[in-house]
Amino acid sequence: MERIFGIDLGTTNSLIAVMDGETPRVIPDPRTGNPLLPSVVALAPDGRMLVGEAAIEAEPHLSVERDGRISAAGFPGGEKGAVVRSVKRYMGLGGDELAAEDRHRYTFTDLSGPVVRFQVGTRVYTPPQISAEILRALKTRAEEALKEEVRRVVITVPAYFNDGQRQATKDAGRLAGLEVMRLVNEPTAASLAYGLERRATGNVAVYDFGGGTFDISILSIKGGIFEVLATNGDTHLGGDDLDRALVDFILEGEPEHSKRDRHVWNSARRVAEDAKKLLSSAPQTEVVLELPGRVIRKTLTRAQFEAMAAGLIERTLQCCRLALKDAGLGAASTTDVDAVVLVGGSTRIPLVRRRVQELFGIEPLCSVDPDLVVAMGAAVQGGVLMGNQRDMLLLDVVPLSLGIETMGGVMERVIHRNTTIPTSVTEMFTTAVDNQTHVDVQVLQGERELARDCRSLARFKLGPIEPQPAGMPRIEVTFLVDANGILNVTARDQRTGREHSVDVKPSYGLGEEEIERMLEEAIDEGEQDLEQRLLITARNDADQILVALRKQLGEHAPLVEAGERLRLEELAGRLEAARAGSDRELVSRLVEELNELSTPFAQRIMESAIRQALEKKSVEELS
Amino acid sequence: MVQCSSCARRCEPCLICPDCGSPIAAELDCFATLGLPRLLTIDPNHLESIYHAMGRRLHPDRFASSPDAVRDASLKATALLTRSYRTLREPVSRGLYWLELNGEKLAEDNKRVPLEIAELVFEVQEQIAELRDAAGGAIETDLVTAIGKRRQELQGLMQQATQDLAANYARWDQSDGDQNARAMLTMELKNILSRIAYLRTLIRDVDRGLESAAA
Repeated sequence: MERIFGIDLGTTNSLIAVMDGETPRVIPDPRTGNPLLPSVVALAPDGRMLVGEAAIEAEPHLSVERDGRISAAGFPGGEKGAVVRSVKRYMGLGGDELAAEDRHRYTFTDLSGPVVRFQVGTRVYTPPQISAEILRALKTRAEEALKEEVRRVVITVPAYFNDGQRQATKDAGRLAGLEVMRLVNEPTAASLAYGLERRATGNVAVYDFGGGTFDISILSIKGGIFEVLATNGDTHLGGDDLDRALVDFILEGEPEHSKRDRHVWNSARRVAEDAKKLLSSAPQTEVVLELPGRVIRKTLTRAQFEAMAAGLIERTLQCCRLALKDAGLGAASTTDVDAVVLVGGSTRIPLVRRRVQELFGIEPLCSVDPDLVVAMGAAVQGGVLMGNQRDMLLLDVVPLSLGIETMGGVMERVIHRNTTIPTSVTEMFTTAVDNQTHVDVQVLQGERELARDCRSLARFKLGPIEPQPAGMPRIEVTFLVDANGILNVTARDQRTGREHSVDVKPSYGLGEEEIERMLEEAIDEGEQDLEQRLLITARNDADQILVALRKQLGEHAPLVEAGERLRLEELAGRLEAARAGSDRELVSRLVEELNELSTPFAQRIMESAIRQALEKKSVEELS
Repeated sequence: MVQCSSCARRCEPCLICPDCGSPIAAELDCFATLGLPRLLTIDPNHLESIYHAMGRRLHPDRFASSPDAVRDASLKATALLTRSYRTLREPVSRGLYWLELNGEKLAEDNKRVPLEIAELVFEVQEQIAELRDAAGGAIETDLVTAIGKRRQELQGLMQQATQDLAANYARWDQSDGDQNARAMLTMELKNILSRIAYLRTLIRDVDRGLESAAA
C-alpha cells in the first residue's frame, strides 16, 4: 500500500518522516545527512527557486536597496531576487493582519488584499506557492532517499492556526502535487509520538514553543485515544521574537540608518541566533558582529538574555493558564497534569524549562528531540490513516470559536472554541422583509463579542428563495468543521427539502479559480519533475548495466555460450532503444530483465575470479 | 429507514451499518445516537466508554482511503456522535436538551432572578460595583475578603443546585409517564437550571471583579 508521509512544515525548519514498521523515522537529506530542511526559499528573478541550505548560501549575496528592503544579487545577470524566511508567518493572512515587524521585511505588491503577495522582479508569489517549494523539496528528498513516490501526506499546523491559515496550508500541499490527507495540530502530533513511545495514560500538557509560533494543548490519553481537552496559543510568538530582542541589544547605540540597514540587520540576526543557542549551555558569551569597516563586540550574560526573554515567556505561561482553565484542570502545583512534553527549539532555553516546571509542578519531558518530535507524530498519524496503529485515535478541537454576525453587529457563537472535531451545528435562517430572495450571512472566527473585533472568515449568500412574507422561509444552515479544523457550510430549505447552493466567499486566502490556475502552472514543473527524475534514474541504471555487460562480454568471452551471448545482445539492444525513448517503466523493466538474464554469466565471472585468485594463492604458496 | 453508503443495505436509523459496519449519516436524537435509553441519570464513565468505542469505528481517520460517500457519512456520523456526547456529558446541557426534547424551553421569563437567591445576588452585585469604583485607589482588603467569602457562599449554593439537579433527574427516571409528575418535574427542572445559570454568571462576575482588583 502506498505510504502516507508526515510533514512538519515549520517556521524555521521543515522535516519529512514516515513509519518504518512501528517506528516513525525522519528522513534526512541523503547528501548531507541533515534531518532539518531550513524553511528558506530563494526566489530568482528568472523564476528559479532554491530551497534550504542552497537558499541560505544565496543569502550573503544580498544587495541592500536604498529603501532598506531585502533583495539578492546573487543570481545570474545581477538581477534582484529575494530570500524568504519564515513564510509561515504570512500563510493565510491578509496584509492588514500581518504583525507590524513582518510588513516591511519584503517587497509586497500591495497589502490591502485578502492575500499578501511577494514581489520579485516582475514576478509575484503568494505564501502558499513559496511553502509549496519547501514541500516539494521535502518530497524530492524522501523520494530520492527511499526510491518511492511521495504523494499522500499529513501536514502539521500550529494548533492555534485559524481557518484561513489551515486552508492556505492545504493549498500549498495541492500546489506541491501532494494529496493532503489530514492536517494535524503540532502539539497533538508531538503527543502521538510520545504516546507511541511510552504507551502513556493520563493528562498531558504539550508546550510547543517553536521558531514563530507558540501552542499549548492539554490532552487526555486513555486506551490509545488522544483527546484534546483545550488548546491555546499565539501564532505570532516564537524564537524569532527572542532573536529580534537580541538584535535590538546588539545594535543598541548604533545610528538609526545602520539599524534600518537590512544587511546589517540580517548579519546581526545570525549572530543573535548563535548567541541564543550558546547561552542555553554557557553562562555568558561574547557577541561579535563584523560590519564593513568596524566590529561590534558585546558581552552577553545568560541573566541579561533571560531578562529580555522573561516577558515573552510570561506570555506563553498566560496561554497555559487559560488552556488549563478551559480544560477544567487546576493550575500550578496541582497533580491534574500527569506529564508535560516540550516541543520546539525554543524549549532548549533553560529559563523556559524552569518556568514551565514551576507552572505545572512537574519536571517536563524532552526525551524525544524537540526538533523532530512533530514530524515523527505526523508520520504516526499517517500510519493511523493507513489503517495501522488501529488502537490509536486522535480527537482534536477547534481552537477558536466560530459564529455569525447577527443584527447590531454582534458575534453569535455557533461553535465554541475547544469543541471536539469533527462537529456540526445547524442554525435556522429566515428573511427580514417580505419577498426577500437572498439572505447574506457573514461567518466570523474569534472570541470577541463584537463582529468587527473578530476575524471575518467568509461571506455567503443563501438563495434564491421563493418570494414569501418576511419570516416565513426556513433555511437550515449546517456548519460542519471537519477533522482538519476547516469549516464547510451547507444549506437546505426546510419546506421544500431542497439543497441550497452556498456560495462561500472566503474573506482571506486564495480563491478556487486562482488555485486552479497556479496548479496548472505548477503541475508541469512538479508532477513532471518526479516523472523526469525517475526517468533519469532509470536511464542511469540502464547505462550502468549496459556498460558493465559490454565490458564483461569483451573481457570474459570464453565464459559466455554462443546462444546466451545472442540473447544477451538482443535484450541489450532493446534496452538501448528504450533508453532513447521516455517510457520509464519500459526502461526499468528491461533493466531488470537484463539483470536477471545476465546473472548466470555474472556468477560464472565471479567463480572464475575466485578460482584464479585461489590458484594464484596456491602458486604463491608453492613458490 | 436509512441506507448504508457502503453496502446499500436499508435499515432502521443508526450510525453503524449492522451488516458491514460502515458509518451511516442518520439523523438521530442524542440518546439514540449513543444507543442509550431516554434516562436523565447517566454514568459519565459509561458514557465516555461508549463514545470512545463508537468514535473508533466511525471516525474519518478510519476511512481515509474509502470512497467519498463513505468518508462523507463517516464525517457526519462522527460530528453527530461528538455533539451528542458533549450534550449529554454535562448535566446542565443535558437538562436543557431534555427540555427541548419535551417541547419545552428555558424561556426569557425564567431568567428572572430566582427568589431564593435574589437577596444574595443584589448584595454581591453591589459589592462588586463598590470594588470597581475603588479601583485605582487603595485596595480595600476588607472588601476583597468579604467578596471572597461571598464567593464561597455562591459555590456552596452551586453545589446544592447540582445536587438538586441530580435528584430531579432521578425522579424523572422513575416518573414512568405520569403526566402530573412530569409537569411538576419540568417546572422544577426549569427552576434549577435558571438558578445554576444565575450562579454561574455571578461567580464569573465575582472572579472578574477580584482579578481586576488584584491587577
